[in-house]
Amino acid sequence: MTAFSYHRPTTLPEAWRLLAAHPGAVLLAGGTDLLVRIRAREIRPPAVVSLRRIPVLAGATVERGGGLRIGAATPVADLLRHPAVVRRYPLLAQALRVMASPQIRNVATLGGNLCNASPCADTAPPLLAYEARVVLERARGRRELPLETFFLGPGETARRPGEILTAVRLPAPPPGARVLFHKQRRVHLDLALASVAVLLQFRGSTCRRARIAAGSVGPTPLRLREVERLIEGRVVTPELAAQAGALAARSVSPIDDLRATAAWRRTIVEVRLRRAILELAGLSPEGGAS
Amino acid sequence: MTPRKTGRRSAPGPRVSARGRRPESGAAARASGSRPAASAPGTTPVRFVVNGAEAEVAARPSDRLLDILRGPLGLTGTKEGCGAGECGACTVLVDGRPVNACLFPALEADGRAVTTIEGLGGPAGELSDVQRAFVECGAIQCGFCSPGMILAATALLAEHPDPTDGQIRDALVGNLCRCTGYVQIVEAVRAAAARRRTAGGAR
Amino acid sequence: MTARRYIGRAVPRPDAPDKAAGRALYIHDLARPGMLYGKVKFSEHAHARILRIDTSAAERVRGVRAVLTAWNTPELRFGFLRDNLALKRDKVRQFRDEVAAVAAVDPDAAAEAVERIRVEYEPLPGVFSPEEALREGAPLVHETDPQGRPRRDNRVPLRFHHESGDLAAAERASRYVVAGTFSTPRIQQSCMGTAGCIAEFDRRGHLTMWAKTQIPFLAQRDFARALADIGLGDRDVRVVVPTLGGGFGSGLDTHAYEYLAILLAWKTGRPVKIVYTREEEFACLSPRQCAVTRIAQGCDAEGRLTFRRVEVLQDNGAYTSWGATYPSVMMVPVTSLYKVPAVYFDAQLAYTNNTYCQAMRGYGNPEVNWAIESNLDDLARAAGIDPLELRLRNCNEPGEVTPMGLKVGTCGLRECLERTAARLGWRERRAARDGTAGAEPAKRRGIGLASLCHVGGSGRIYRSDASGVVLRLDDFGFVHVLYGGVEMGQGLHSVLTLAVAEALGVRPEKVVIGPTDTANCPWDVGTHASRGAFMACTTVLRAADALRRRIFDLARTVFPAEAEEALRRHRKRNPDDRPPEFDVAAAAARTGAFDLRDGVLFLRDAPPEPWLRLDLARFLRAVHFREGGEMLSAEAFVDPPTQLPDFERGFGNLSAAYAYGTQGAEVEVDLETGEVRVLRLVAVHDVGAVLNAQTLAGQMYGALAQGLGYALYEEVLSEGGRILNPDFRDYKLPTAHEMGMPIELEFVEPNEPAGPFGAKGVGEPGLVPTAPAIANAICDAVGVRLHDLPLRPERVLEALRKRGG
Repeated sequence: MTAFSYHRPTTLPEAWRLLAAHPGAVLLAGGTDLLVRIRAREIRPPAVVSLRRIPVLAGATVERGGGLRIGAATPVADLLRHPAVVRRYPLLAQALRVMASPQIRNVATLGGNLCNASPCADTAPPLLAYEARVVLERARGRRELPLETFFLGPGETARRPGEILTAVRLPAPPPGARVLFHKQRRVHLDLALASVAVLLQFRGSTCRRARIAAGSVGPTPLRLREVERLIEGRVVTPELAAQAGALAARSVSPIDDLRATAAWRRTIVEVRLRRAILELAGLSPEGGAS
Repeated sequence: MTPRKTGRRSAPGPRVSARGRRPESGAAARASGSRPAASAPGTTPVRFVVNGAEAEVAARPSDRLLDILRGPLGLTGTKEGCGAGECGACTVLVDGRPVNACLFPALEADGRAVTTIEGLGGPAGELSDVQRAFVECGAIQCGFCSPGMILAATALLAEHPDPTDGQIRDALVGNLCRCTGYVQIVEAVRAAAARRRTAGGAR
Repeated sequence: MTARRYIGRAVPRPDAPDKAAGRALYIHDLARPGMLYGKVKFSEHAHARILRIDTSAAERVRGVRAVLTAWNTPELRFGFLRDNLALKRDKVRQFRDEVAAVAAVDPDAAAEAVERIRVEYEPLPGVFSPEEALREGAPLVHETDPQGRPRRDNRVPLRFHHESGDLAAAERASRYVVAGTFSTPRIQQSCMGTAGCIAEFDRRGHLTMWAKTQIPFLAQRDFARALADIGLGDRDVRVVVPTLGGGFGSGLDTHAYEYLAILLAWKTGRPVKIVYTREEEFACLSPRQCAVTRIAQGCDAEGRLTFRRVEVLQDNGAYTSWGATYPSVMMVPVTSLYKVPAVYFDAQLAYTNNTYCQAMRGYGNPEVNWAIESNLDDLARAAGIDPLELRLRNCNEPGEVTPMGLKVGTCGLRECLERTAARLGWRERRAARDGTAGAEPAKRRGIGLASLCHVGGSGRIYRSDASGVVLRLDDFGFVHVLYGGVEMGQGLHSVLTLAVAEALGVRPEKVVIGPTDTANCPWDVGTHASRGAFMACTTVLRAADALRRRIFDLARTVFPAEAEEALRRHRKRNPDDRPPEFDVAAAAARTGAFDLRDGVLFLRDAPPEPWLRLDLARFLRAVHFREGGEMLSAEAFVDPPTQLPDFERGFGNLSAAYAYGTQGAEVEVDLETGEVRVLRLVAVHDVGAVLNAQTLAGQMYGALAQGLGYALYEEVLSEGGRILNPDFRDYKLPTAHEMGMPIELEFVEPNEPAGPFGAKGVGEPGLVPTAPAIANAICDAVGVRLHDLPLRPERVLEALRKRGG
């Protein structure tokens, strides 16, 4: 086994000092992914800095203005027990419930899931739909980015060396929004082959606001702005839903891999988005084969 | 959770950092207590509570909770099925919650309370109600997934004394079984829940 | 025969408490003093010449005790055709080929050393499908056979063929003929406990192997041969089987890692353990064979089958295991599922540079059943006959002799079909015609069924088809059972316990199953072919009968004295009691006077007085501790009346009984995504008679889950011979949710005369017809026929689009 040192700071300044003292050190939040990769010798970091004992990184608090600040090292299972998450951010809760297994959810963290920057990260599409922002802090300085600009590519984020993702901030949820998260999987314990997160706000049958994101259908989780623009301000009809699905299928850029083909992933995005829009609009899905 | 490359992983296995090997053989004996955590180079002492008793083990940064349970502590009831958090055979409870011991850094166990399958029964080795239900309902075949499955079910019933079918299956989704088709396992969880209710509330 | 006390009931297994407590010891949990950890260096090419292996860096790793290559070890040849080598010398033929092995004081050092082994290769063009492999001029996987004679092509030299009836005439006479080509994937047995072993030599050179095997005695023979190759031909080999974390066929061969552990132990003089990681298990342990089956079936205007033609092409991979003999079992359904007057069967196997394959539960049957039962539905459609009616019209009957010469004893197939149909509401549903609306407009529902027949009374695939048992009674009334078959989770020990309790007349708590160990147990051919329970009960019945006879014989002299003594004690304790007069000596002298039930020896005609009921333990002590005393035991060794078929002609009564069954499925197909949801499963099986209702249900549920996985999810994916999904992340097993649909089990019990307690073997049948039942339901729902497993949504959607377009 490659030797590395393991550090368990209890404050952020301590963590920053350790990062500075150990160039090439990696951060461990839940560790559900990292330890396996180290043991498989995929990565050989000289040091691991654990964020699990830093109290400020754990827990979620409602912010002034009605938003929610989630500590980056909060385990997913804790979020699912948090009333604010469950009641006010149901789209996130829907995604968290189908993320991996109970065992993983007890350990894996929101920040870890985002920092892995996997295109199939279950937490990303709902957070994109809620227009979440990430807080990156280093010894001297702090910046906040829209989550959308945080993802650069598979496994790549805007986080710079020395920075720690400390929190995810969600703005106050749009009142009365209807939401639906769909995760396409082979069996119940699976990574997303494709996912769509849909948030619609209606006035009557007119969609006032649409926030739509998709996972596993591009190099990063994607926010589908064109599709949002297509339906915002319009009366939702089966035709519009179909157009939205078709546009979404055109806007994504999935790949063929051993889990699914690109073509089928596009189909899934098209069908699942159309059905989600219809369901949220209270219309019965029109169905029927193409 | 990024897709991994298919590089070969090193054989997992206990490293007895405290030196001295367990007696073994056909009737491998089991060390029930902890070993003194001599600070071997590159190790850190982990002090935690295992099945209600305090334990101290010298662990390396690369050790997993699974390694120190099965190795120096001799608690081989916790099984390694995949080493990647995908099968649940190594499920143990940390502070009451089920986790994959194969993903849990050993050093993070410091100060925690861990329950393994060996810690579920009574003081004289009698089976817990969930274990008994598994036996009585035919929920065990090869038995390799059983310890993890039983711990996952135990955690479920602690939180939901009267779980729905969907809640049972959700709670067990991270525990793979190749023998049973899960039917009798789900029946066992239901039976344990029912028995607790008729026995008058949770334990 | 008096009413049964234990057989037939639902009884918890004797091994369950320890397993529930985490106390059962699997190979992973065992260690020996001074034990080293072995690790294998596998090939990095599918096909390449080995130019050089540099182990110097590996040898320098601290803690390493041995690094083996083909250059510093004796050559160990193994495998069904002895075409495999423990360590490869000249070339590698698959990605998982073993080129070196290391033993070190801990697993990390072993892994480190393996990583430092450098191998230079000259890559060679490979063949990655049987079609490619059999093409003229294809690169040869093996240039020579094991005897060193040159090979001309990649054909595996095994022939399986059957012809019966006048095929040409039958084809001409057919009113309807439907042909199709069906394929099945490689899948992984996916034992939750990975493979592993410990090899240890004692100072006399005798070898003990703790092995995860289903064939301890054939393995013993294989290992003994390896010892001979090392120069230890006169040494003993003992195989001990620890608790198995599943088997499913993966233990029907000996494996290179076992020979490597032997070599490493021999080289180092220390015990050596090799346990595969999950990734090694997926990438380096043989999966189920994949097969392509071309089939044509015909019927007359009334729907009577006229002929069946089946040609199978199997991808053998680079070496040959017992799994290569799948066609020997394929012949059973091909010739004998439903009445077919003319049958043609031919199977070919090709060497490729893919991972070599081995046995898995069902052993060839699911592969051809997929083709037969799918194609039969198509034939019914073509003939305008309801698929159920077509099957009933050609249903097998009790007492039938099939074209392969199978002597069908009892046969409950008709009832299985009828019961399945009734549970599915077949006649009402099918009358409503082609698929019904699902919960949503884009979804359609349908029902389908499929049947199977399989060996149910052991199956002779070796010179001996035998099993043996020893029942040994001790001073305390316990029965110690030594049996050479393997408990791998299926419930063998449960059935053994019940059979002993029932047949001997003791309580199940008094039955103790000893460890599976070639040093103590009678020879056994192996736990395969659904023969475990069948043979265990057969041998137990015989041994128990001998034991009872001996007990009753001794009782004539021992019992009266003991009864007298008991009466004296009784009187002392109950001075007021006036026991009835009874002439014990006279009663004991009569033939058939005694009976033994629940561990109590008594005279059949005696009044129910406690002093006339002798505890077995007390009796045994009386027999033991007297002049010329004896300890009672009995052994039975049974080679059942099965025939080793002539596989080149495809003829012979492979088994002593045949198991039948029908499964039904209701599915919902999403027309837009191709997803298939199984809403309901029905399984009705002819099991002869139920032995333990609980373990039987467990076997069936588990098999159904495997059938479901085979149908919908599972596939070992490879590219250029490299396994792409060597983990549960991308090899998808059904979870508890996938098995959440209502499942109805029903058992037909015709009471098989050839079977112990009337039972047939049923370990495998439960997974055989699941996939075609589901595919037939899909066809009912949406009208498309699927030919390739697994039925991934992409495939379903593509088929829907083809039909629509």
